[in-house]
Amino acid sequence: MDFRLTEEQQELRNAVRDYLAGEHGPEVLRRRDAQREPDDAVWSGLVGMGLAGLLVPEAQGGLGLGLIEAALVAVELGRANVSEPIADTALIAAPLLSPAEQEKVAAGTLKIALAHPINPWIADLGTADLLYTSGGTTVPPVAKALTGIDPLRSLFAPVFSTEDDNLLNRAALISAAQMLGGAEAMLAISTEYAKTREQFGQAIGSFQAIKHHLATVAVKVEFARPVVLRAAYAAEHGHARTAVAISHAKVAATDAAMLAAETAIQVHGAMGYTYEVDLHFWMKRAWALAGAWGDRAFHLRRIEAAVIGRGMTIGPDTVFASELNNA
Amino acid sequence: MDLTYTPEQQVFRAEVRAWMAANVPKTPLKTLEGQEGFEQHVAWERTLAEGNWGMVTWPEAYGGRGLDLIRWLIFEEEYWRAGAPLRANQNGIFLLGPTIMEYGTDEQKARFLTPMASGEKMWAQAWSEPNAGSDMAAIRSRAVRDGDHYVISGQKTWSSRAAFADWCFGLFRTEEGSKRHKGLSFILLPLDTPGVTIRPIRQLHGETGFAEIFFDEVRVPVENRIAGEGEGWNVAMATAGFERGLMLRSPARFQAMAARLVDLYRAHAATASTQAHEAVLQAWMDAEAYALNTYSVAATVMAGGHIGAEASLNKIFWSEMDRAAHRAAMSLLGASAELAQLPDGGPNIWQEGYIFSLSGPIYAGSNEIQRNIIAERLLGLPR
Ligand SMILES: Cc1cc2nc3c(=O)[nH]c(=O)nc-3n(C[C@H](O)[C@H](O)[C@H](O)COP(=O)(O)OP(=O)(O)OC[C@H]3O[C@@H](n4cnc5c(N)ncnc54)[C@H](O)[C@@H]3O)c2cc1C
Repeated sequence: MDFRLTEEQQELRNAVRDYLAGEHGPEVLRRRDAQREPDDAVWSGLVGMGLAGLLVPEAQGGLGLGLIEAALVAVELGRANVSEPIADTALIAAPLLSPAEQEKVAAGTLKIALAHPINPWIADLGTADLLYTSGGTTVPPVAKALTGIDPLRSLFAPVFSTEDDNLLNRAALISAAQMLGGAEAMLAISTEYAKTREQFGQAIGSFQAIKHHLATVAVKVEFARPVVLRAAYAAEHGHARTAVAISHAKVAATDAAMLAAETAIQVHGAMGYTYEVDLHFWMKRAWALAGAWGDRAFHLRRIEAAVIGRGMTIGPDTVFASELNNA
Repeated sequence: MDLTYTPEQQVFRAEVRAWMAANVPKTPLKTLEGQEGFEQHVAWERTLAEGNWGMVTWPEAYGGRGLDLIRWLIFEEEYWRAGAPLRANQNGIFLLGPTIMEYGTDEQKARFLTPMASGEKMWAQAWSEPNAGSDMAAIRSRAVRDGDHYVISGQKTWSSRAAFADWCFGLFRTEEGSKRHKGLSFILLPLDTPGVTIRPIRQLHGETGFAEIFFDEVRVPVENRIAGEGEGWNVAMATAGFERGLMLRSPARFQAMAARLVDLYRAHAATASTQAHEAVLQAWMDAEAYALNTYSVAATVMAGGHIGAEASLNKIFWSEMDRAAHRAAMSLLGASAELAQLPDGGPNIWQEGYIFSLSGPIYAGSNEIQRNIIAERLLGLPR
């Protein structure tokens, strides 16, 4: 039992974090917003980091890593608010594709959009090379983009697809990890703002009301993080309770991200209500992801069905559900 | 990350489970906030110590088993699974014990730790004063040096179970005229020392769980001081960290509560409000999250990491989770929530628990104070 990241995992996370902090600042978000098109330079940077092939087997030119690493990277994508379809393509779809497709994903020449009946809208279909539905990939239909809440995510009317729990679980987990990273970013942005913005002759961060708002967010974020990591671990190791662990992660990360977003705007005052500060990009991603891949109510119902409906226990033997497999 | 128990850890779990199954009292004890219940709990402490389960993380030399934090978590899980009683000596074993381990001399360790683990000496915490609650640096009780003794005068208050305990530990002003957190010393003394008067205070639930302690020229040997004269503040802050952090509130306790809450929900599902329904699921998720976070922190500490102000995150989380879960239970019980004794004769543990949960956000440093600490020390906001 060792609930810490391995050295390799920490290195991976730090490398991605440092890269994105250097190369993917708010100016990228603004440029991306102005052109409303995926950014080739950003995409090739991500591919160059090896992120496209993160989960692709080494035989297909990838790194052959697993869902824990995927979740760690997704947290960083959320922190930097990356909007290229790297999470959908590389972290959710890649292991579900054919070897030939995986090879292209790792090389960065294939972008994937995902269809599942749980989602009322499909993200980024317009720029995808392939559409993944539960049976496999198809050529994406020509479709007209809809405007969504997040200016960096284009949406499309759904096409026919069937239930696929594996896809749903993977995607819910990766969305949760992205929201966790986003929540951390919004807390950091707001804290920084509170240190510099002055009113009544002092930094607003010296006022207790502001301190308490931010401290409350810090608690929410801190206790969502191990839930997301446990879900990734359970999924990676095929634990019996993976679906419930993932639903818990989605709810915990959604709650942390929504609170972080609402607090962030409050701390920024009217400035937070403008398109001029970068904050809004993170808030909108949080709102978008909160509803994608099963909203809070959906995931609560899944937990309820297990806990109240099927009498799933809590406590010793069940926190790390591998114990059930051993029993 | 390796979220599996090793075979040795599994064997240890089985050992604890078997012992608890054979030894945990079959009928619930009376509340430890009353004299009779406290004595029943002391008897349980002795039983635990006979099984050498008094304080499993302590070195064997002091009545422990020298176990690491993961095994402590496993121990606690089995403890609460078995429905074992609250620890009556929590002020001693969870707060003072680790403090002595860190700051005490070898003599002090030998003298105080073993009788603490064995339940022979029960401890009270004497920090708060009538005008020094959240603002603990405002304490005024004095300890004046007289040769190899201190002469203590003043008053402490809200001291949990001081009416039944054997000893207390507290902070006293050893430097006359010193201000705030300077000039304070951390001193231990038996509550039957001449000059000590204890006045019990009835708590919200009617039991005398608190007491005021009056000191009238009480003579205490200098060797009862932990760490240097005037260094009491830092020692007390370490103790407060133990109180907010890992030890006092082990996750298994809240998992057991969440499991009971789910059962309660099943019994009242037909009349449950939407809010109560959601609160039950939230309590379940929070208890899980708390356990996961604790395992994560334990792994970090075992690898040489240190918890400082992070303990404040912990304190807010468990105290607010506890209050919300008990509020949900009261709502599920509907009109029966009013009864102190249920029709089947058993105590209404949810009502007792609800009342107690209201104190969580106050004691161990109020949650407002914890939020200040998080903002200033973890987020770096200006004071
Ligand atoms: C069940 C229980 C058991 C206890 N056991 C013990 C014990 O064994 N030993 C012991 O020494 N003490 C004990 N206490 C006392 C406890 O530590 C104090 O109650 C606590 O520190 C708060 O102090 P106070 O009650 O004086 O409240 P006050 O300090 O008067 O606070 C009143 C309110 O003002 C708020 N407040 C105060 N200062 C600030 C600030 N700077 N910023 C924002 N808000 C602020 C508080 O958060 C609180 O909401 C216990 C208390 C309870 C309820």
